[in-house]
Amino acid sequence: MDFMEIGRVCLKTAGREAGKYCVIVNTVDKDFVLVTGPRAVTQVKRRKCNVRHLEPLPLKVEIKGDASDSDVLKELEKGGILEKLRLSKPSAEDIKRSEERRAVAEERKKAEEAMPKAEARKEVAAKPKKESKPKEPKSEKAAAKPKAAKPKKAAAEKQAE
Amino acid sequence: MPRPSLRSTSNRKVKRTTPGGKRVVHYTGRKGRAASCSVCKKPLHGAPKGTTCTFRNLTKSQKRPERPFGGTLCSSCMRREVKSRKLDKFGY
Repeated sequence: MDFMEIGRVCLKTAGREAGKYCVIVNTVDKDFVLVTGPRAVTQVKRRKCNVRHLEPLPLKVEIKGDASDSDVLKELEKGGILEKLRLSKPSAEDIKRSEERRAVAEERKKAEEAMPKAEARKEVAAKPKKESKPKEPKSEKAAAKPKAAKPKKAAAEKQAE
Repeated sequence: MPRPSLRSTSNRKVKRTTPGGKRVVHYTGRKGRAASCSVCKKPLHGAPKGTTCTFRNLTKSQKRPERPFGGTLCSSCMRREVKSRKLDKFGY
């Protein structure tokens, strides 16, 4: 009997998300599983997790492999699991925000993977540096400072003589 | 009497014997103790050792690991604690 199946509700026992509940969404390996909170509900991000760091609970949810966070949330509500685990249903704003964040992170990851690392560094170095407004007063101050220093130095030299 | 700058409880008094055979007191600074798990007393990782002045300049995440009970319990004691607290209601 394998408890690490798709839809199984688990408790994370290790790492920064220890003590939080999550749902298994897909299996990657014999050692790793793809897991999600969903984030708006339990603050567990959608990521890979070692099976040893999960403790299965006697709760299960019927979802297909690679289900989206909103589908998982629907099923959690249907099964009454949010009440059993004393979790509150997130507002529509929270769900939207977490999905937007995920989309941005995925795009960034794809862009990084598409570009090999050496090329990425060259691109960053080749980009023209942005001219920002606050630099102007700084340059004025910097220009003023050596002017102020010069007469002092001249005075010190005179005193030394 | 030691000189005024040494008359502080932040200095440790260490008795030493000089090569000439005299017994003298040396005043040395105190060192911070390393962190250990509050349950099993094993040394903790991710919690640096040092005096107050070294800790003052470190950020919060540089002084303890980013997990529940970080800086207090070692990872194995933390896992045991998390399980015992959360699995009670499921009858484990």
